[in-house]
Amino acid sequence: MNNNKRSLTAHQDDFFSVVKALLVIVLLLSIAPQALAAGDAEPAAKVVNPGAELWREVRQREAPVAGTTQVAGMDSGVLINIRGEQWRTFRMQQLIPAAGALLGGVLGIIVLFHLIKRGLRLELGRSGNYLLRFKEIDRVLHWFVATIFIFLALTGLILLTGRVVLIPMVGHDVFSVIASASKEGHNLFGPLFLLGVIGLFIRFVSKNFPGKGDIGWLLKAGGMFGGKHPSAGFFNAGEKIWFWLVIFIGLTLSATGLILEFPFFGQDRLIIELSLVLHGVGAVLLVAGLFGHIYMGTAGMEASLESMTSGYVDANWARQHHDQWAEACEAEGAVIAGEELAKKQRLRGTKNRVPDRPAAEEGQ
Amino acid sequence: MARMKFLCDAERCIECNACVTACKNENEVPWGINRRRVVTINDGSPGERSLSVACMHCSDAPCAAVCPVDCFYTTDDGVVLHDKDICIGCGYCFYACPFGAPQFPTTGAFGSRGKMDKCTFCAGGPEADNSSEERRKYGSNRLAEGKLPLCAEMCATRALLAGDGDTVSNIFRERVTWRGSSGLTWGWGVAYSKPGLRRGRGVEGKAAGKD
Amino acid sequence: MTEFIDGPLWYFALAVFLSGVVWRMFSIFRAGSKPDLSVPRRSAAVSAVMTSLRRFVPRHEMSPRIRLQLVAGYMFHLGLFALLLFAAPHVLFLQEHLLGFGWTPMPHWAFIVTSQIAFAGLLLLWLHRVLNPVTRLISDADDHVAAVLTFVVMLTGCLALMETFTGLRVLHRFTVELLMIYFPFSRLMHAFTFIPSRAYTGAWYGRRGVDA
Ligand code: HEM
Ligand code: SF4
Ligand code: SF4
Repeated sequence: MNNNKRSLTAHQDDFFSVVKALLVIVLLLSIAPQALAAGDAEPAAKVVNPGAELWREVRQREAPVAGTTQVAGMDSGVLINIRGEQWRTFRMQQLIPAAGALLGGVLGIIVLFHLIKRGLRLELGRSGNYLLRFKEIDRVLHWFVATIFIFLALTGLILLTGRVVLIPMVGHDVFSVIASASKEGHNLFGPLFLLGVIGLFIRFVSKNFPGKGDIGWLLKAGGMFGGKHPSAGFFNAGEKIWFWLVIFIGLTLSATGLILEFPFFGQDRLIIELSLVLHGVGAVLLVAGLFGHIYMGTAGMEASLESMTSGYVDANWARQHHDQWAEACEAEGAVIAGEELAKKQRLRGTKNRVPDRPAAEEGQ
Repeated sequence: MARMKFLCDAERCIECNACVTACKNENEVPWGINRRRVVTINDGSPGERSLSVACMHCSDAPCAAVCPVDCFYTTDDGVVLHDKDICIGCGYCFYACPFGAPQFPTTGAFGSRGKMDKCTFCAGGPEADNSSEERRKYGSNRLAEGKLPLCAEMCATRALLAGDGDTVSNIFRERVTWRGSSGLTWGWGVAYSKPGLRRGRGVEGKAAGKD
Repeated sequence: MTEFIDGPLWYFALAVFLSGVVWRMFSIFRAGSKPDLSVPRRSAAVSAVMTSLRRFVPRHEMSPRIRLQLVAGYMFHLGLFALLLFAAPHVLFLQEHLLGFGWTPMPHWAFIVTSQIAFAGLLLLWLHRVLNPVTRLISDADDHVAAVLTFVVMLTGCLALMETFTGLRVLHRFTVELLMIYFPFSRLMHAFTFIPSRAYTGAWYGRRGVDA
């Protein structure tokens, strides 16, 4: 197989994971209201009495007759909460199986894809010259969000699927300890995630507006059909879509998460149930996207992880994947020779513990 | 085996809250928790009705189905109980319950709920019957002593009935006949129309084997 | 296991921690310093105090370059000490097992906010350590072990927040004990050495009229 084809298929995967995610959003959004409506058919009263009208109204949440009670508490005046039944049906019978299928499926596709196609290699090998792609502050931010996101995803998925997956393996007592730890950890790190997403937005939004070549990139599906590698700027359209997914789903997760975590601003059960639905659906989608993102950043594309570790990428990598950006850098004379970089950073296996001067790296 | 049920007769309930107080006292429930509450509709207008609400011990209990740590179980009497050693205080059972039965000690702000507490049909919890552990965590276990829930025992107008479902509905049917109007077994459609959890879909709590 | 961690291991860790810290501080002080024959230009004592304080703020020339370390550093350290001394379970523990008296702990919500600040700070500091070429180069295993151990101690503490599962409490206690045993042999000693180190530098240079 020639190198060019490999590159096309790797982009194809990036694209596919995005399309798949979008499809599932549409699917789940169309299922959710249906699930919420499923329980509306109330078992009819067996015998009708004069008060029956009243009781029928009581069962409707929007009943004109709001009950009163001496007991304080969320919705304590409500006699029957119908949405609860709908939420539990959605969560237990739709969300959990769908989460398993989607996450397992995406993982399976990635593994299969990798086994068949291998990762995407550098077409021209390494040039030995480098371009600065991400400043230190951007890398710190990226890994800050990544760490927290993975922790939240892990703890959240334990809460969501642990009953089905972990209880049969470890038993109720042990799982309860794991679940309690997950819940406390999840609640603690959740708000930090919001700060991280805001940070990502501030640092990266300017590079993620639709730009020259994006339509072409998408039309060629990242180079899936066209023979030539589609042209891209600093971020290609696939990466831009991932960015906006992170921002929008991330903010949705944060908003719904905060509603769940601070249940004392008068939110009633309906709002909480809707938040749980959105939170669960959003989390599963974003984790599925994360699988694709991690693959493209590591095994799926040679030499791309470096951009987030050292911050520098090989000039050939840049030309192959982000030609517009590479050209702009070359025009500016921003290409750094390998020896120069090594001297600056002493990264290449030096055991010298005394750097002669602090590397004049990017200001941060 | 008996199938325990609650029935509240809205034509009789006078909103005296004796059941609420009796329950609190008998079970020494955690501070800030009411396992039972009385809800009044059309308060102060013609057609005012009151109902005493607590856990109805549903056949296919939503709380048990949704609990992430699967800590509920149904006793052979059809009473839905839970294991506080396992509960993580997530609140999901409260969101799922049709009757708003599960309650949480508000031991602090910031979504920290503490372990769930709810009506046990005066049947304690998974610990040995009437052990001090059981009493401390779940209150009294009157069922094990051959008694029925105190809330119903205390009801001056006999609006609140508790006991075997057949007996309870027979009493109610007699009343309805005698009153000459048709009655409504309030909440029964929601709570008992579905097949029993314990014989059902293999969803069983840790202590499912307990008698 | 629980008894071992709550009992013998705790006393062992405490002993290692206390004796280790005392021994290391003692050997630092015993090393002494060369007699300083210079003509004193300024009071060494005043300079020691001044430098100790001045070190809380970065030198003007450095500040734009170390903004991240500065902010994250304060977030982490202040958060950590607030947690250590004012978290309700800690106050209770100190009162019952070590001191015999207690003080007002912070409320639960403050605990949460404080630990979030501390976590964010520690995470940022460690990421800076591995992502900046210079700090990565001068970091060795000790730095990483210390950071990870501290992180794990904080994490297990927060996972046990519900305060009802013995397993989680004991896990936290266990990681604390590991940290205490590791402490005297690592750079974590800076929690104690930073004061004499600052004071020494301040005194040494101050005496010669140099602002340090
Ligand atoms: C600002 C950010 C977030 C906050 C404040 C937050 C908060 C919460 C809260 C309060 C719960 C309920 C858990 C409980 O009380 O037991 C929850 C559940 C959950 N969270 Fe988050 N979360 C956030 C971000 C995330 C992220 C980024 C993910 C995944 C990638 C995630 C995945 C989940 C999942 C899967 C559940 C379980 C839902 C269910 O069981 O139905 N959360 N979250
Ligand atoms: S009334 Fe609520 S708490 Fe009781 S069994 Fe039904 S769902 Fe569960
Ligand atoms: S609060 Fe407790 S009983 Fe209720 S769903 Fe959560 S873990 Fe289960």
